[in-house]
Amino acid sequence: MSVLKAQGLGKIYSSKGNLVYKALENIDLEVESGEFVGVMGPSGSGKTTLLNLLATIDRPTSGTIEINGVNPTKLSDNKLALFRRRELGFVFQDFNLLDTLSLKENIIIPLVMDGMSPKLIEQRLTPIAEMLQIEAILEKRTYEVSGGQKQRAAIARAIIHKPSLVLADELTGNLDSKAAKDVMDALKEMNETFKATVLMVTHDPFSASYCKRIVFIKDGRFFSEIRRGSNRQAFFQQILDALSVLGGNFDDVPFARA
Amino acid sequence: MTFRSLALSNVRGNWRSYSAFFLSSVFSVMIFYIYAAFIYHPDVVSGHILAAGKVREGMQLCLYIIIVFSFLFVLYSNSAFIKTRKQEFGLFSLFGMTKLQLRRLVIYENIVIAGFSIAVGIGLGVLFSKLFFMALAALLGMTDSISFAAPFKAVWMTAGGFFALFFLISIWSVLRMGRTEIIDLLKAARQPKGKLMYSPWLVAVGAICLGGGYGMALVMDSYSFVLLALPILVTVIIGTYFLFTQLSIIFLRFIQKRKGFYYKRTNMLIFAQLGYKIKDNARILFIVSILSAVVMTALGTVYIMQIQGKQDMLDNSPYSLAYVENGLHSHNVIDPDEMQRIMKEEGLVVEREAKVIGFGLDRYWITFEGNDSVTLGNGHEEELEYQPSAMVISASDYNKMAADQGKPPIAVESGKLTLLYPNFDDSTYGAGVARGIVNGEKVELPISGSISERVMNNWMDSNSVTLVMDDLSFVRWMSAIPEEKQRVFFGFELKNWEKTAQAVERLDQLVTPGMEGETDFGRPSQYVDMSQVVSLTLFIGMFISLLFFIAAGSMIYFKLFTEIQEDQAQFKGLSRIGLTKNEIRRIVVTQIGIIFFIPCIVGISHALFAMRSLDNIMNTSNWFYSFVVIGIYVGMQTLYFLLASRSYMKSMLRGSAA
Repeated sequence: MSVLKAQGLGKIYSSKGNLVYKALENIDLEVESGEFVGVMGPSGSGKTTLLNLLATIDRPTSGTIEINGVNPTKLSDNKLALFRRRELGFVFQDFNLLDTLSLKENIIIPLVMDGMSPKLIEQRLTPIAEMLQIEAILEKRTYEVSGGQKQRAAIARAIIHKPSLVLADELTGNLDSKAAKDVMDALKEMNETFKATVLMVTHDPFSASYCKRIVFIKDGRFFSEIRRGSNRQAFFQQILDALSVLGGNFDDVPFARA
Repeated sequence: MTFRSLALSNVRGNWRSYSAFFLSSVFSVMIFYIYAAFIYHPDVVSGHILAAGKVREGMQLCLYIIIVFSFLFVLYSNSAFIKTRKQEFGLFSLFGMTKLQLRRLVIYENIVIAGFSIAVGIGLGVLFSKLFFMALAALLGMTDSISFAAPFKAVWMTAGGFFALFFLISIWSVLRMGRTEIIDLLKAARQPKGKLMYSPWLVAVGAICLGGGYGMALVMDSYSFVLLALPILVTVIIGTYFLFTQLSIIFLRFIQKRKGFYYKRTNMLIFAQLGYKIKDNARILFIVSILSAVVMTALGTVYIMQIQGKQDMLDNSPYSLAYVENGLHSHNVIDPDEMQRIMKEEGLVVEREAKVIGFGLDRYWITFEGNDSVTLGNGHEEELEYQPSAMVISASDYNKMAADQGKPPIAVESGKLTLLYPNFDDSTYGAGVARGIVNGEKVELPISGSISERVMNNWMDSNSVTLVMDDLSFVRWMSAIPEEKQRVFFGFELKNWEKTAQAVERLDQLVTPGMEGETDFGRPSQYVDMSQVVSLTLFIGMFISLLFFIAAGSMIYFKLFTEIQEDQAQFKGLSRIGLTKNEIRRIVVTQIGIIFFIPCIVGISHALFAMRSLDNIMNTSNWFYSFVVIGIYVGMQTLYFLLASRSYMKSMLRGSAA
């Protein structure tokens, strides 16, 4: 069963002068339930635009999106917000955790906002926190914990409401390599034990090597796709090869989100 | 770019944060100037305006209040600005600006702001001073208006005073900027704002202070006022401070433990954010609460004084026009036909009237058994020339008048007199003896007691005290007194008596010279005098209250807008993970509402206790009027809140949409 179905997706930015910029063109993407898909591409290839469209934060200029059988572009702003809250989970590069809340409170926002009873909330939280090894720091605030811990809390928030699709955007971009490995392990475990469907945008080959399938895009268009065998090491090499074919600049700092 | 233009562009760049502060400063400069302009107005100084003396001192006092208040307000605002701009200062230091230059920068900026607000404030003051003078002339009942003038001394004093004030405060706050590491300055905004910690000791101090202050306010009366007023003020202020800094934390912790409530949709975000900002908010909530309490108490006091003053007049003089004739058919005091004619001419309508016949008790002296401290009359000091006289009336006359005036009837003990003697605290006296001269004979009459009530005006020589006798004895006494020795009380209650002062003046002229002591026509003009004093006080006090109100609002407003960027980032994050616009609005508006109305509620509570002790002091009950004042205040605050939350929501959505 496919969770995400995007067909002929395109996004054109036009400014007042007749400057037209095609950020995305004719992208087809399908993600099956329980899949772990990566999207890679050099800077300016349209990764973030694609993710924004799938995240329903932005609307495509052409093509259709279907998430769990619903076309979000047809929803009103209000319904769209509720749709994001219930059907999607997000993990961002900048964590997007609120300083005002403890980690626990941050994690349970989606459940609290939907009016779930405190007892059920606790029941949902416990296994996830255990698996992500953050039970001990649940009462801490964001500024008291490390980046890796913050990102694991963000992962917990992204899956606690059992969304149809988890979208991750450069989630290791702000982490050192040890923390990045922990976070990717955590995400993989979520994918495997909770059967969470994950779509991740990244430019980091190491993070990408955790995926089961990687889609490469370049200049806003589909470029190639590779699938992982049983060996992650070999897959990592495969990714590097693909990237060298792809060309472009991967060393830059990823887009700061405006 | 010169150094000075950098300062100028800083002010321009921070305009939104500065605007509320600037407006409040302008307002206080303006009010100060207008008051000063009146005090130093050439006509007032030279004494041409006689009535001005009534308000000059009040205004002088207001000037001091404004200066002290402005000092505190500017001091607070300045330190708040510097705090919010730490990051910016850090950046300047990073670029190599020396500490001295940084300080000069801040002082330049302050001078710019000060110069602007003084110039605009005085400008507006000059513009509106004529309007103020006109209103004042009307309130003072002056026929010719106060001419327009911009006294040099007022301008000079306002400009000089406020400039010195701004300058000294900016120097002081700049010196306090002190030695912080650049890295701390840069990180300032991102530093955690502290956890929800409280000290049980301070909580106890706060609770005891607040409880003690309120308790003292409840028991305070006119006797203990001098002793208790200051302790109440101090304990309530300390208690309020700890209420916001300590008790609020206990409250928030309590809420966070009640998961059923706390985990209910937007509640979690609202209360978490309140807790996060509590340290910053506590001080401002405290200041605003105190300001609100002061404004409400002051306005309430003046208002209640007026209401109470009117009630006192009605109690003291049950009839707006009253006089006493000695002799059943004599017209020595006033000619009744003439009186009727003038009353008709002036369009005076009599609502109720009384004509009560009784007899006099001259050179009276009243004592009470077992109470040596109270005696009435000077009859025992026979050498005294001037001796007012008491009047004895019948019980049925009393009850008739009492019924007219809506007072309860009384039963009088046979053969004994009942004294009518309204006491300040409604206390009464027991049995006693009234001595005096009736119809030329010395008599001694027993008194059964007094009641604290009055049905006739007593400000007349022949009726300075009234005694009530049972009908049977009264008839017996009267039969022995010739008609020309009988005493007649005339009382007229006029319709719309509040507006009859001028007409009554004419009636006053009619009174036979030398007989003024037998009339009491004073109530209408007393009322006019009192109304004038009250409306002048209200008029002058209103500006001070308005100043307080605007300043309190501007502090909240400033607070909101310094946090807007943080909030924008937060709500952008929340909307990414699927919070609807309505939910965000609910969170924001609830928080702003709490910040606006919590001080209002605490202020109301303080004001109610203050007015309660005012009632104690004056022995009255005026809850209704207290609530009128509070209602007006809450209404104004609501308006302010709606405006602020609208403008905040707008700029927040604009910021987080991008």
